[in-house]
Amino acid sequence: MKKLAILLVVALVAAAPFVVGGYETNVLMNALLYVILATGLNLVAGYCGQFSFAQGAFYGIGAYTTAILSRDLGTGFWFNFPVGIAVAGLFGLLLGIPALRLKGHFLAIVTIAFQTIVYLTLSQWTSFTGGQTGLPVPSIGPVSLFGTTLFEITSLRSYFWFTLVIAVILLFAVWRLLQSRIGREWIAIRDDETLASAVGLDTTRGKLTAFVGSAALAGAAGVITAHAMRGVTPDDFTIWISATVVAMMIVGGKGTFIGPIIGAVLLTSMPEFLGGFAEYKMFLFGVLLVITVTLLPEGLIGRVRRLRERFS
Amino acid sequence: MDLFLQYLANGVVIGSSYVLVAVGLTLIFGILGVVNFAHGEFYMLGAYAGVTAVTLFGMPLPLALAVVLVFSALLGFGAEAILHKPMKNRDATSSIISSFGLAVALQNAALLTLGPQPRLLKTEFSTIPIELGPVFMPLQRALIPVAMMVLIGALYLILRYTWTGRSLRSMSQHATVARLCGVRVERVAVVTFMVGAALAGVAGFLMSSVFMVHPIIGNMIVLKAFTVVILGGMGNILGAAVAGLLLGITESMTSAYLANGLRDIIGFVIVIAVLLFRPQGLFGKAFERS
Amino acid sequence: MTSVPVLEAKNLTRRFGGVVAVNDVSLRVGRSEIVGLIGPNGSGKSTMVNLITGELPADGGRLIFDGADISSQPSYRRARLGMARSFQMLRLFLSLSVEENLLLAHHIRMKSSMFDTIIARRSAVEEENSVRKRARELLAWFDLEEFADNPVSALSIGQQRMVELARGLISEPKLFVLDEPAAGLSPPNVDRLITLIHRMRDEFGMSILLVEHDMRVVRDLCDHVVVLDSGVMIAKGIPEMVVKDPVVVEAYIGSGWKRRAKA
Ligand SMILES: Nc1ncnc2c1ncn2[C@@H]1O[C@H](COP(=O)(O)OP(=O)(O)O)[C@@H](O)[C@H]1O
Ligand SMILES: [Mg+2]
Repeated sequence: MKKLAILLVVALVAAAPFVVGGYETNVLMNALLYVILATGLNLVAGYCGQFSFAQGAFYGIGAYTTAILSRDLGTGFWFNFPVGIAVAGLFGLLLGIPALRLKGHFLAIVTIAFQTIVYLTLSQWTSFTGGQTGLPVPSIGPVSLFGTTLFEITSLRSYFWFTLVIAVILLFAVWRLLQSRIGREWIAIRDDETLASAVGLDTTRGKLTAFVGSAALAGAAGVITAHAMRGVTPDDFTIWISATVVAMMIVGGKGTFIGPIIGAVLLTSMPEFLGGFAEYKMFLFGVLLVITVTLLPEGLIGRVRRLRERFS
Repeated sequence: MDLFLQYLANGVVIGSSYVLVAVGLTLIFGILGVVNFAHGEFYMLGAYAGVTAVTLFGMPLPLALAVVLVFSALLGFGAEAILHKPMKNRDATSSIISSFGLAVALQNAALLTLGPQPRLLKTEFSTIPIELGPVFMPLQRALIPVAMMVLIGALYLILRYTWTGRSLRSMSQHATVARLCGVRVERVAVVTFMVGAALAGVAGFLMSSVFMVHPIIGNMIVLKAFTVVILGGMGNILGAAVAGLLLGITESMTSAYLANGLRDIIGFVIVIAVLLFRPQGLFGKAFERS
Repeated sequence: MTSVPVLEAKNLTRRFGGVVAVNDVSLRVGRSEIVGLIGPNGSGKSTMVNLITGELPADGGRLIFDGADISSQPSYRRARLGMARSFQMLRLFLSLSVEENLLLAHHIRMKSSMFDTIIARRSAVEEENSVRKRARELLAWFDLEEFADNPVSALSIGQQRMVELARGLISEPKLFVLDEPAAGLSPPNVDRLITLIHRMRDEFGMSILLVEHDMRVVRDLCDHVVVLDSGVMIAKGIPEMVVKDPVVVEAYIGSGWKRRAKA
């Protein structure tokens, strides 16, 4: 039943480009990318309880890895994708190390400092990253197997479908991860770290895997974005991207699988419903974040679940 | 050598603004345990308030300064009602996320109402040059460290010798005990936010003659101020004052002798290193990191 | 009692600022033995437990567990070597169900790799199922079977204490360290606890270090007791002798010990 519902939703989303125009398809594509980013953040912040404001940095690391690889080695998507994920994951490991010693405020500040360092490096190290103007990235182009071209990824629609496939695969992997032992261990670390080690869990490994997984997902989104946008600039990976991803996770409900997905879709599409007030987008994100944290700390999904429990 | 002194003086000017922002931030953290990312917006809005008062209403500088003080203190009053009052008994990250949201909202509100075009404050002092040996700068700029020292000195005396100041300090040492001793915690919280915001607003106003004022200046300054707070030791006012000047000087020297591109990065690298290896700050005593 | 003890603590010391919470304390727990650790409030019992299980680093002394020196091992390694504990201030994973709380404690005994569980390999799924079955059996042992899927926060304090014990048991420890397991229990529940601890030793053959306040529990259960006062060991021996020791009585005067000791 549940499987059927999920299939139906995916099929509906896949059919969307036939119904809506190019602009809306673009919005949907963005929503998919943010779903990946918010789900990634949720691993480390929602499940493992280690707050991070650096998701935008890992997103940028994935994207710039792609751009630099295609510039210097002329490699294409299928090479860049795993490498981009791995490089982002590696930086995730790096940021995870402070998390072994720091908690709460102090960890949050380190992640913000990290995000800022990455942004400043992308924008200032002109000889390597292209500085403020950024770098061009070629399209994914034809996808071939054993010498025959299967299909070509250049149009917006093809990018959308391609991103959808990748997003579904990644979300499924995350779902499996959360159902497995490691997911349970992350929750244990979040709930009570002392107790987690007392029952024999290696909390160091647990936290590091959460950071790596979270960063790897952002890296994946970054690689796709770089190819889809045909280029990267540092301003696509500012701390405001991180803030947006945090807002999505919090509004939807951190520590639930579906919450950040809903939050990402909601906040990406919200500006479209604002009509002439679309420029108020970031302002409203901010207000929404304050209101949610203050009045609805468990997020939409968390609240819905609690209400349902109360009535059953 | 002459150039070195000039760089040093420039560093002290910038550093003074860091001190003013960071002292408020460290007070709010030390006394209330709130990590306030919206603090840079007090700086930004203070700068706008000052520039508006001078250029639009033609106020003399001292009057404009008073306007900025009152205006930013009111902002602080509002911020306390959002970031602190409803967030008691919540985990550490709640206030961070909330203040992050407030920062985004205020910044974009400024962008929507005031527009993105930068402004610069020009007053009768900006054209008066002063020379101290080999160091040269406009009088307006030279007044910034002086204003900083007056304000921080006044704050120090208030904390030391007035009843309000003593309540503030007792709160930062032990909130529950302070409450039992009759300190009105709610009032202390409001006063702390107002003082912190006023200091940041004044800093923004003072710096509006050095750097362009635009809606996103709060971003970098709040991150810099956090760097200073951590270097000085969370909650340590004198630590923040020393660390603020140090950061300003370090940045000035980095950009002069290493590379201009490294100027902004250096502080953040230092901050991560300090948090990892000396979490109590450069000058502080041991501190619980949770 | 066999010759090689399960646990041997030698000259443990721990300071908090100026306070010496544990001062040069040594103790042994033999196989299938129940050793009591008693003393007035603040005498350093919980600190001693934390030193043994590794939550706190010691300032001095050595720990031998099952013949190996574990002094420098972190707490999760000690758990893997076969040490389980309960907490004086009850600790459970509050957002997880009763069953999940037990499963987590069994992770360290699982054979399938993390990767196998992610791809849901048959052997891993089977193992997970058999562990779940084991968890249910243990819960039945504690009369908690019907609560397996409930969040632990929905249970009473007494039931939560039992979950803590079940959590320790499922990890198949060689030594189970219990920090005041009777705290907050009603008298009938204390009786049940005594029976359960007896059975834990007799049916699973494990050794137990029992921190306790309640003299009745100590007398009913312990083969040996060690008495702490202000971080110093002031007496040790069999319970009947120790409670009559004038030094021990002296240490407890004012805390109602005499009354309870006679009762
Ligand atoms: N984390 C800690 N920090 C400072 N002092 C502590 C800490 N834990 C325990 N103490 C002190 O150590 C002494 C022993 O405490 P504890 O081991 O909890 O005693 P008991 O369990 O026998 O009641 C007490 O004086 C207590 O105040
Ligand atoms: Mg105790």
